Amino acid sequence: MPSELPMNDPRNIWQNQPTEVFKMSVNEIRGKAQRRRRKARREALLQITIGIVVCAFFAWIFARAHDETLPRVGLGILSLCGLNFAYQAYRWIWPGRPGPDAAVSSSVEFYRSELERSRDYGLHIWRRAGLTFCFLGLALVILPGVIHSLNSPRLLLNFVPVLVLLAIWLAIFFPTRKRRLRRLQEEIDELRGFEQHGRS
Amino acid sequence: MASDYLDLRAEAITTGDVSQDSLYQDAADTYGASLDRLARAYELDPDARRDLLQDIHLHLWRSFGNFDRRCSVRTWVYRVAHNVATGHVIRQRRVRSRLVSIESVDTMPGNDRGELVASQNEALDRVSMLIQRLKPLDRQIIVFYLEGMDASSIGEITGLSPANIAMKVHRIKNVLRRWFGEGEPHAE
Repeated sequence: MPSELPMNDPRNIWQNQPTEVFKMSVNEIRGKAQRRRRKARREALLQITIGIVVCAFFAWIFARAHDETLPRVGLGILSLCGLNFAYQAYRWIWPGRPGPDAAVSSSVEFYRSELERSRDYGLHIWRRAGLTFCFLGLALVILPGVIHSLNSPRLLLNFVPVLVLLAIWLAIFFPTRKRRLRRLQEEIDELRGFEQHGRS
Repeated sequence: MASDYLDLRAEAITTGDVSQDSLYQDAADTYGASLDRLARAYELDPDARRDLLQDIHLHLWRSFGNFDRRCSVRTWVYRVAHNVATGHVIRQRRVRSRLVSIESVDTMPGNDRGELVASQNEALDRVSMLIQRLKPLDRQIIVFYLEGMDASSIGEITGLSPANIAMKVHRIKNVLRRWFGEGEPHAE
């Protein structure tokens, strides 16, 4: 009887804790797997659609703008960024690609590979999201406006809040990212050590 | 032994005598309670725990389609379950950043919870609280230890060397002794 267990024996307490019976049948599990797949596909489709809409929107403005070259180049780049976003959503989120094999890998191997995935995602998010080109495109679009406003410093003041916010974001983003990646790398190295020790 | 029977059934799956569904059903019947406890080790919130348990069963059912008998059914079940649960912890980035190793818990000053617990629920809460603080790998080892598994089985599932497991289990015993007075006579 659980109530008669000695309180200083955590193994007994753990093994005799009340458990619930898992009630899903195999058919229900199969149905759930299909529903999950459909949901993942819907989410991927939504992101792809957003990318295409962004691409079409900037392409439309690009086609209508005839005055200056620099903003047009910026709009073209932003349009391509939208297309890249849609492509990356298809590449990374679209269901169907096999995930990491949860059964074949040992726990250490699986945990390390998951941490490495997390690290790589953090390392390449800038490139994967095409953020460099997005910022370049935005800069090209607003740069002529900034240059024009140099003649009247009052107009230039309008850009100050945006620049301040951008500076704050950059000052927080990079150190936080660096610290997180360093911690991840330390843990990955520790797990690699365990793996090597396990093999030898 | 239920696990031996399951291994025989697994052998039959390769010859087509046993289906993926029935092998999963047998595994779920044999290890159901253990998987429920495992989910408790990774998630305290009852609703989130139910979702995690469903996830584990879903992956388990799916994985039996690729079961290649490179290991026993028990090892397979625990690997899938713990790896799914580890993925669950990794996705909770904020929670993960606060997790510590068993070595840290063992050496933490002012952490002694040697006072005896009054009820089984309190004791269980205390075990759960300890487990929830640990990094996934240490969490697995303490769960296996609490489940009463031997070092070689833990090694097969986790991929850690016997020496590493012995060291971790030693730490776990130390911590449990401090938190529960394990091994000491229970005072009424």
